[in-house]
Amino acid sequence: MPMSSYDVELIDIVKDFDSGGGPVRAVDHVSVEIEDGEFFALLGPSGCGKTTTLRLIAGFEQPSAGRILIRGLAMEGIPAYHRPVNTVFQDYALFPHLTVEQNIMFGLQMEGVDKKAARKRAEESLELVRLPGVGARKPHQLSGGQQQRVALARALVKQPAVLLLDEPLGALDLKLRKNMQYELKALQRDVGITFIYVTHDQEEAITMADRIAVMNEGVMLQVGSPREIYEHPESHFVADFIGETNFIPGRMLERYPGGYGKVKLANGSIIRAQLSEAFSRADGPVTVAIRPERIGIAALDDRASEEDGEVTALDAVLAERQYIGTDTRYTLRLQAGIELVARLQNINEADSHEFSIGQPLKIRWRQSSTTVLDR
Amino acid sequence: MEARQTLINESAMGRNRAIRQAGRMGLWLNPVFAYFFLWAPILILVLFSFNDSKSVASFTGFTLKWYSNILNNVMGAERAFSTEIMLNAFRNSLFVGAVATAIATALGTLIALAMARGRFPGKGLLDGLLFLPVVIPEITQAISLAIFFKVVFDWFDLISGQRIFPGFHTIIMAHVTFNISYVAIVVRARLADMDPQLEEAANDLGANPWQTFWRVTFPLILPGVIAGALLAFTLSLDDFVITFFTSGVGTSTLPVFVYGLLKLTVTPEVNAISTIMMLLSTLLIGISLAMQGRAASRA
Ligand SMILES: Nc1ncnc2c1ncn2[C@@H]1O[C@H](COP(=O)(O)OP(=O)(O)OP(=O)(O)O)[C@@H](O)[C@H]1O
Ligand SMILES: [Mg+2]
Repeated sequence: MPMSSYDVELIDIVKDFDSGGGPVRAVDHVSVEIEDGEFFALLGPSGCGKTTTLRLIAGFEQPSAGRILIRGLAMEGIPAYHRPVNTVFQDYALFPHLTVEQNIMFGLQMEGVDKKAARKRAEESLELVRLPGVGARKPHQLSGGQQQRVALARALVKQPAVLLLDEPLGALDLKLRKNMQYELKALQRDVGITFIYVTHDQEEAITMADRIAVMNEGVMLQVGSPREIYEHPESHFVADFIGETNFIPGRMLERYPGGYGKVKLANGSIIRAQLSEAFSRADGPVTVAIRPERIGIAALDDRASEEDGEVTALDAVLAERQYIGTDTRYTLRLQAGIELVARLQNINEADSHEFSIGQPLKIRWRQSSTTVLDR
Repeated sequence: MEARQTLINESAMGRNRAIRQAGRMGLWLNPVFAYFFLWAPILILVLFSFNDSKSVASFTGFTLKWYSNILNNVMGAERAFSTEIMLNAFRNSLFVGAVATAIATALGTLIALAMARGRFPGKGLLDGLLFLPVVIPEITQAISLAIFFKVVFDWFDLISGQRIFPGFHTIIMAHVTFNISYVAIVVRARLADMDPQLEEAANDLGANPWQTFWRVTFPLILPGVIAGALLAFTLSLDDFVITFFTSGVGTSTLPVFVYGLLKLTVTPEVNAISTIMMLLSTLLIGISLAMQGRAASRA
């Protein structure tokens, strides 16, 4: 038996659907390795192939090409009911004709666990999701959040190698969702089961996951820790999808050693900026990405506004100011019609109205805060 | 000038109001007429099944004697009314209904499952064909079945030298053919309401297709299956045209028997039998609808 240290391996997976007007490629050459005990998030916009990827792992769909290994075992030809994975469906898919307890016992009975033992484990599993004492109820007698927990208990009681969760919190209101995020994360840490967690909410992915895979149009664009994904996006799409980002068009002039480059921005300024890891060219059109919270603002007479070896400073005019409680959002206008958004924390109350509209300012950022991307 | 204008406006308004009122009146009367034509004949039938007089000219008083005549084999004035023959016809009806319903329910449910879950070429066409028995005239179906049986039996005779005569088997087969559609349509509606993810969930939890069907799919569509079966049974009990064309000697069902009575004369006993049949059908259809409603509200 070939063993591997990975729980789930996708090897060059392709999935085509033929629907009416020609084939739709839902998953496009995806390869990824997911480690044992990892909280792995699949993140991407609607229709990017997250659910399809999950369904391929679960065995509800068969890949058009490529291989899937679970705990080192090839899954080809193995039906869903023989795979060591369980799914928490987005709308829970609880059996309406069975009680909560019967729902949870269902999977155990399929394994041949006797009724008494199954009942005991169902009860423990309900306690695990902090929902004891509802076993006799029918699913429709529970709230959405409670149904969600039952769906979780029903999957966890099987003690799968991997738990697949398809936007499990999608149907809950914001407050409940935040609570459940913490609970789910804590639960995952306790039980130590690998979670593959589908979401289109980047905040959810960042706060919960050990690693995130960002998908778009069936392609897995980047896989990395939340920090890597946020700080070092390798493509325009990833930088845009995760958090807020300013994009400044420019032209690459020269590549420096150490992952930096000399870029001429559209407004004529020549800056030194960090190159994204995936960036390989030495010239041509580029985009420079910078996060709003990494941009500093200073009055023209501020002595700290000087450029030095590590800091870029540019002239700008304050175009708009928006107070949003913890922060203030500034829209800054550079030459050549470039607009940038900066976000500054309101540490003191006076911070929010320190600068006035139309005021010429110096904006500054650390060169390491920028990322040069393919356009 | 101004006054004239107002006058015209007023008369126009008056006319409009009159039209509106007539329209409203018409709208209000429309259902009254509709319901009258729908129910009056049935009401008259029920009423005269309790009429003391033999003639339908007038209602002379309340009686249950026609009902008791049915059961007690009392001779009518013009001819003998045989309770024995009637009960026999009723038994035939129940037998044909039960067997045809059982077969049609099983086959109709399987077709509904194939239509809802399966992916195969020509599915759209088959789907449309399924509705055919519901929309084509009953007489067409009856004649086509009669010819079909004759052709098949002729062939059989030619090949084996043995003659098959129409009987229960032909009636039952004929009933199955039209009942399948009704069962399939009702069960399919139920299946369409069912979340297909439930079957995937069962699969995911380790249930193979067989277990998934019996533990998840079947319990969830059961109300639809029962509703379809009740509908089929009712249609079977009520059917006259198709049964008439496909029955043989000694296999008369209740509607065929009643038709035989009518050929002589409309006796009050016919009214009584018809009333009983109507009540039975209404009851069965009522239960069927309740099952479908319950199924829908539970989904
Ligand atoms: N059974 C199917 N038949 C045909 N096309 C399909 C099928 N399932 C998915 N697709 C297509 O594959 C693509 C990916 O779908 P998928 O459901 O995986 O997206 P998703 O990332 O889960 O989106 P969402 O966030 O909206 O759930 C879509 O273009 C979708 O239309
Ligand atoms: Mg999805």
